[in-house]
Amino acid sequence: MSAYLNTRVSLYSGRLWQDEALDALVGVPDEAMADTLTRSGLPQLAAAYAPEPGRQQDPRSLEQRIIAQILDETRVLIRPLSGAARSFLTFWTARFEISNVKTLLRSKMTGERPAAVLARLTPMGAFGRLDNQDLAHAENVGELLRRLEAGPYAGIVRHARRAFEQSRDPFSLDAALDHGYYEGLILRAQPLEDSVGAPFRSLMASLIDRINLVWLLRYRFNYRLPPAQVYYLLVGSRYSLPSSRLQELAALDSLEAVLAALPSALQIQLFGVTDIPGVFARMERAAAGQALRVLRASAPDIARAFAYLILRERDLRAVRAVLRGRHLGLAPADIRQALQRAPAEVS
Amino acid sequence: MLRADPLLRIELLMLASEAQDAALALARFGVFNPAPCALEALEESPAVAYREAWLEAQARLSKLLEQCGDTGPLNIPAEAEAPALADLEELNAWLKQAWTACLACHESEVQIAEARSHLDALEVTLARLERLNVDLAHLLHPDSLLAVNIGNLPVEGLKRVTEALAMTGHLVSRFDQVEGQVFAVIAGPRARQDEVRGLLAQAGWRELPVPDELRTHPQAARSWMEHERTRLNTQSGAACQIMDGLRDRFGPRLHEARLRLALARPLAEAALAGIRGRGGLAALSGWVPKRQMDGLRITLNAHFHGRYWLDMREPSADEVADVPSLVRYPGWLAPFVPLVKSYGIPRYGEFDPALPFAFTYLLLFGAMFGDIGHGAVILLLSAALYRRLGRMAWVGFAAGAVSMLFGLFYGSVFGYEDIIEPVWLSPLHDPIRVLIIAVGFGVGFIVFTLLVNTLNKWVSGRIGEALFDSTGLAGLAFYLGAVGLLASLAGVVDLAQPAGMLAALGMAVVAAFKWFEAKAGLGERILVTLIESLETAINLFSNTLSFMRVAAFSLNHVALALAIFTLANGLGAAGHWFTLVLGNIVIIVLEGGIVAIQALRLMYYEGFSRFFSGDGTEFVPLRLSSQQAKV
Repeated sequence: MSAYLNTRVSLYSGRLWQDEALDALVGVPDEAMADTLTRSGLPQLAAAYAPEPGRQQDPRSLEQRIIAQILDETRVLIRPLSGAARSFLTFWTARFEISNVKTLLRSKMTGERPAAVLARLTPMGAFGRLDNQDLAHAENVGELLRRLEAGPYAGIVRHARRAFEQSRDPFSLDAALDHGYYEGLILRAQPLEDSVGAPFRSLMASLIDRINLVWLLRYRFNYRLPPAQVYYLLVGSRYSLPSSRLQELAALDSLEAVLAALPSALQIQLFGVTDIPGVFARMERAAAGQALRVLRASAPDIARAFAYLILRERDLRAVRAVLRGRHLGLAPADIRQALQRAPAEVS
Repeated sequence: MLRADPLLRIELLMLASEAQDAALALARFGVFNPAPCALEALEESPAVAYREAWLEAQARLSKLLEQCGDTGPLNIPAEAEAPALADLEELNAWLKQAWTACLACHESEVQIAEARSHLDALEVTLARLERLNVDLAHLLHPDSLLAVNIGNLPVEGLKRVTEALAMTGHLVSRFDQVEGQVFAVIAGPRARQDEVRGLLAQAGWRELPVPDELRTHPQAARSWMEHERTRLNTQSGAACQIMDGLRDRFGPRLHEARLRLALARPLAEAALAGIRGRGGLAALSGWVPKRQMDGLRITLNAHFHGRYWLDMREPSADEVADVPSLVRYPGWLAPFVPLVKSYGIPRYGEFDPALPFAFTYLLLFGAMFGDIGHGAVILLLSAALYRRLGRMAWVGFAAGAVSMLFGLFYGSVFGYEDIIEPVWLSPLHDPIRVLIIAVGFGVGFIVFTLLVNTLNKWVSGRIGEALFDSTGLAGLAFYLGAVGLLASLAGVVDLAQPAGMLAALGMAVVAAFKWFEAKAGLGERILVTLIESLETAINLFSNTLSFMRVAAFSLNHVALALAIFTLANGLGAAGHWFTLVLGNIVIIVLEGGIVAIQALRLMYYEGFSRFFSGDGTEFVPLRLSSQQAKV
């Protein structure tokens, strides 16, 4: 198992985008785009640029193609895995399905027709656990939530339904679903952190710390929620920002005060940042650097696989930004500026 | 039976307003497989709205039938017409109205059930509160400084809620737990109540409706609880009455809705493949058996009296991969078809392996598991389980019968080799002969698969591969030559020189073909040619040797029986018979299962993989019923 997965991850690592390649993609002529994307291991995206003659046009959106590409690669990576490692990587893909759940819920709130919402859902392929056809044909939010409660995400949805019934606030639904998902992810990561050790834990720490800090700042300073509610909505963490620290941070009154009260390592990482998108970008860059270190080190196979998936997703988001920019007819300089992808460096 | 029916591609143009009737007529016709329309001039998709309305209506109807029960068998009159889009939308709107009414009723039933369960939990909790001797009147007395709430929340959220509330000076005191719900008292400064309201809602906190009586006298809660139960029962009764009323109101029309949706199904199903149109025209595209084209014209004329335009053509070479395969099997062969399809569907024009599969599979099974007694048990078990296994029981009948036939050849009855004389040979006494026969059979089987592959490639227009590739005629020449050479070396025949030349010629042609096929630099080309030529030889050799397992399993069968007899003979009378019976059961279940899988494995990997790509598309005709529908 180990040899297969390590070899597979090493082979896949060659597909990761260097910043120069991404920069070059901005200027690739349209007719060479399909070839460039195929050579970069993105056949799902290339198909949109060079459809086979006589074949029906693939109706999937760019976002859906990118997720399809990630799911394809995840499927290959989990093939030799079993037990906790398999369960973790499978649940890692479930966030796309939770996103589908949110889309379905919003469609019921707005009265969107089933066919329209079905076209916007991300096809989950072998990872799909929900009957989207059935769910899309629910008559209202109440029926949809009850149907979801009878499915694989019952634990997450039950709590969200209760929160929604109390408040009737769409925000509470989204927040409860996200919270439930990440609590579930941490639960599944726990046995791997114990068995795999530091490399895997460092990846989880980067991810959960970033989520907690960004959520805290958004809930507190964008949505103006009270500190206690903000704290409640964060994910229980054992990493650089444990519960006691999150309580202190949630009680502070300004973004500057929160940044100044962070542990010193995070303060250094976020030096000079003045807004929430900046915090996200800087922490994501640090997480990518950490993932790159794990990928290049002789870390256990599941840690390397997880690190690859983190980096790959980051890359594909950047590719999406470039392709969308080109599609909108933006000037190359504007696309490059919007990209603002600082290189992930191994320190 | 050995090849799919020849199909024609048709494009049927008609008035868009008659598309639903055309689809219905094609569904009644029974052999029209819809396909994406390739007429690029028609850029509209006129059936999309129809399909959307049908899917919505169908989903609502299914839910209503779940609530109201089945409305009985559905007989579709031969002259019934499919609803137009406007009718379908009207039906959909009515179904929405009916389902919304039922849903409200259903929701209220769910809420009553939840309220009952909540009341049960409250009853337990109040009983405990009574024993605590707490002065609830004092505790719940409205105070200008202190706010006190009693309620429950999910147990998993308690720790986090407690920590969060502590940030606002609130205390949480848990006093009970019923299933997954924790009952608690939350107390804190009234001035900060606004801060915790959102948090409590987010945490799923549910306030207990503590009655005024409880605040002064806990025992008074009993009568309040009784009153609540009576109220819920009344509500539930009313909900049931409403639901019964809805069933009476909607029931009769539901049957009609079922009928109209069944009639609308063909167009909705065909729309999935893609119906194109423009202006007032719509085009249905698909595949129809060539020999039934006259029947199709008669059907269309009867319905549309010339108000249509039908174009038909043979499938082009580059679309063969997308043409569905329609193979008609006789009833006796049908049980074997799922075993073939579990490997894959033959491509249109490819040789269909079901018939040789059935014969060869049974032959291999019988040869590996030849025993009159064991075969009879399999046959009788298949008869006994006929109702449960359905058509697949016939595979068991046939396997049992062939096992009995080979048992007669081998002279074996429940492992006894001395009850009857072998008609042909005894594997135990003549193992080398059995091995030679098995390998000989393997050679014949592989030659057959190479010939079939050559035919498939030829038919699909890949002439080069049919003639020169390792699985084509050149590969066959090499294989026959190599077999002749080996047989000559073993002294079976005297054909060493011509066989050697044939093998060398075959391999040279294969190597030359690989050389021309490899699109790479010189070094890589040499490497690819060498490795692939070597692989051809190794594969054919190892595949042939694979058939030695047929002999090995026939010997294994005898050896297992011998082992059981040895064990049984060492025991007393009761133990002897018990061991014999148990041993035979083990042989039938364990060895029978292994042999069934090995025979399948030989068919799949030494046979099918050589000539059968298995990536064809099944012919799925439009139908009136939901069976086999793709929707």
